[in-house]
Amino acid sequence: MKKLLISMAMVANVWAISNFELAQKSDAVMSGYSDAKSEMVMTLINANAQERQRTMKSMVLEKEGGDKSLMEFLTPADVKGTKFLSYEHADKDDDQWLYLPALKRVKRIASKNKSGSFMGSEFSYEDLTAFNIDKYNYSGDAQEVVVEGKKMFKSERIPNSKNSGYTKQISWTTADTFLTMKVEYYDRKKELLKTAIFEDYKKIDGIWRIGKITMTNHQNDKKTILVWKNETIKNGLKDKDFNKRVLKR
Amino acid sequence: MRPLLGLVLLSSLLYGEVAYKGYVGADTQAYLTKPDGKHPANFTLQQQLELSYNVGDFESAISLYAQEDSYDLSRDHAERNERTFVRLDELYAKYYFENDMIFGGRNIRFWGALEVNNIVDTFNTKDFRTDGLDPQKQGAWNLAYTHYTDSGEISLVVKLYEEQQKMAAYPYAYYFFPKEAEGMPITYDATLQSKENLYRPTLYLNWSGSTESDYPIDYAFIGQYGFDSQRAFQQAVDYITPLVTLSEEAYLVAKVMSYNTMVVGSTLLKVEALATNVIDKNVSSIGKVIDDYYQVGLGVEHTLTGVNGDADLGLIAEYYYYDTFKHSNNIATDLNLFQVFQNDLFVGFRYTFNDASDSSIVAGAIIDMEYNEQSYSFKYETRMFDVLSVKADYAYINPSTTDPTAYALMGLNPNDPTADPSAHQRIGLNLAYHF
Repeated sequence: MKKLLISMAMVANVWAISNFELAQKSDAVMSGYSDAKSEMVMTLINANAQERQRTMKSMVLEKEGGDKSLMEFLTPADVKGTKFLSYEHADKDDDQWLYLPALKRVKRIASKNKSGSFMGSEFSYEDLTAFNIDKYNYSGDAQEVVVEGKKMFKSERIPNSKNSGYTKQISWTTADTFLTMKVEYYDRKKELLKTAIFEDYKKIDGIWRIGKITMTNHQNDKKTILVWKNETIKNGLKDKDFNKRVLKR
Repeated sequence: MRPLLGLVLLSSLLYGEVAYKGYVGADTQAYLTKPDGKHPANFTLQQQLELSYNVGDFESAISLYAQEDSYDLSRDHAERNERTFVRLDELYAKYYFENDMIFGGRNIRFWGALEVNNIVDTFNTKDFRTDGLDPQKQGAWNLAYTHYTDSGEISLVVKLYEEQQKMAAYPYAYYFFPKEAEGMPITYDATLQSKENLYRPTLYLNWSGSTESDYPIDYAFIGQYGFDSQRAFQQAVDYITPLVTLSEEAYLVAKVMSYNTMVVGSTLLKVEALATNVIDKNVSSIGKVIDDYYQVGLGVEHTLTGVNGDADLGLIAEYYYYDTFKHSNNIATDLNLFQVFQNDLFVGFRYTFNDASDSSIVAGAIIDMEYNEQSYSFKYETRMFDVLSVKADYAYINPSTTDPTAYALMGLNPNDPTADPSAHQRIGLNLAYHF
């Protein structure tokens, strides 16, 4: 019996995956898109189920040290043409600029605090930046769980940045494709703040891309649904397409 | 041949992207305390329309602004305040090459880093007919060539014509001149005076960029040769009519300007500065020399996030200084030249609710330490039904009782010019439907 228990433990150990390895695999299946262009529809739902919608055009350039992204607001009409340019950095604060078309002004943004709400939504700026392994600390193994008959890994990561709005994130990742299906975000008081549900994954040119994220805030009962439409990848975008000059175009 | 040309034009139009945006709005101000004889309130309809046509690397746009003030519909000419007009703000075409861009037409440019008063934002003249406390900029005709680098750009801009500065007429509350002087009525004539031809080009060489470091900096340096944005004021007295006519006089300068923003954590540090060499110092009919001058603006903006839930609180402090190099004992002062910020401090905040309506409150005080003048303002902005913007504001101005500042002149009592100018208070509301 003792021998059987030892051999079972050895098998379990062989099959176990560390939280860090899981993050690497999860990152790998979503990487390699080079760049992406898409339209985004953001639906803000308040506690009384009233909905407001924003639409945006988005471009992202995949970079080793941190992605570059440009977002242009199409609606509401009074902010049409407003653009947000961000250079993400794993080792320092991001560089961010906002273009205000009514003033023809490019304004520098201080990006130290990443927990601020993005355009009144339940997404923070750090939720919208691409997943980057180097931004988190990992320890221990992922836990194998079954959710609705599907084998998944439940994993924990802790943000490195002291300016993160979170103390802990718990994610559920499919065991076969290593795609993230759900993330729970814990606030600075270590209480559950938000849950994100990731849906509508599709393969574009062999790379997995997300189609929809529903972010529910458990503390204010608000919800935001973000949907990507008409996404294309490997468009041949270059660094100069994310230069400050594009803000005024 | 003609149908073929039409077909080519039509197909290129269909191939390009046409976009539009604009608003139709109503703007009203009620003046709780105001100088005698001036309007107690204003009601204005406003419309703005922007059309753009882009195809490939070619971009073009037209932008029009129009407003109709209710007093200008009055049968009594003395009540009309000349706040009804249509203005062409932009009409341009530009073409992008790999790392270059050429531009021709009329447009509005923004230069600056500070929030309340941008001392280097001198390219466009202001139009004081919209709101005397928050004047709009009007377009300027120019040609430009820009070369882009990885970290910034260098531009040569040639302004082709020096625009008039438009103002509303008495009895509009923000008519910044006394009603009369020495018993004669005063009128402002917007026709710009100058020894020079107003079509003489003004050149700007602009170099700007960003550094990548732990404390990144956005920097810009501008050299200018041509007409100054600061204007001298001419006074012509006609004893027969009788009438005193005030008008602005443009003169030539060589100027260097710079504006910079440094990011330090959650704090933005800002500097704007300029130094001006006045080329023809003896232009003014007021009998004083227009001296070389310099201006400096320093600012700090610190943002606290997650205040009271999702809200952000931006704390802003800015200081502005203006002085001449004092090359003569008989120089035109900043009051003669209508320089509003000479030794002024702004302290205020921006509270951003981060809600679905993008609501915000901006409030602050400007303390003029040179002439003992204070102004306080509070503005609330929000959005309803996703298409209707709502802005409400309150302003209180305590004008100088010792010096003839713009606010003091605005508040002079025409029936008793020796009396101290009264404090000014207003509440305003702006509703606009955006499309």
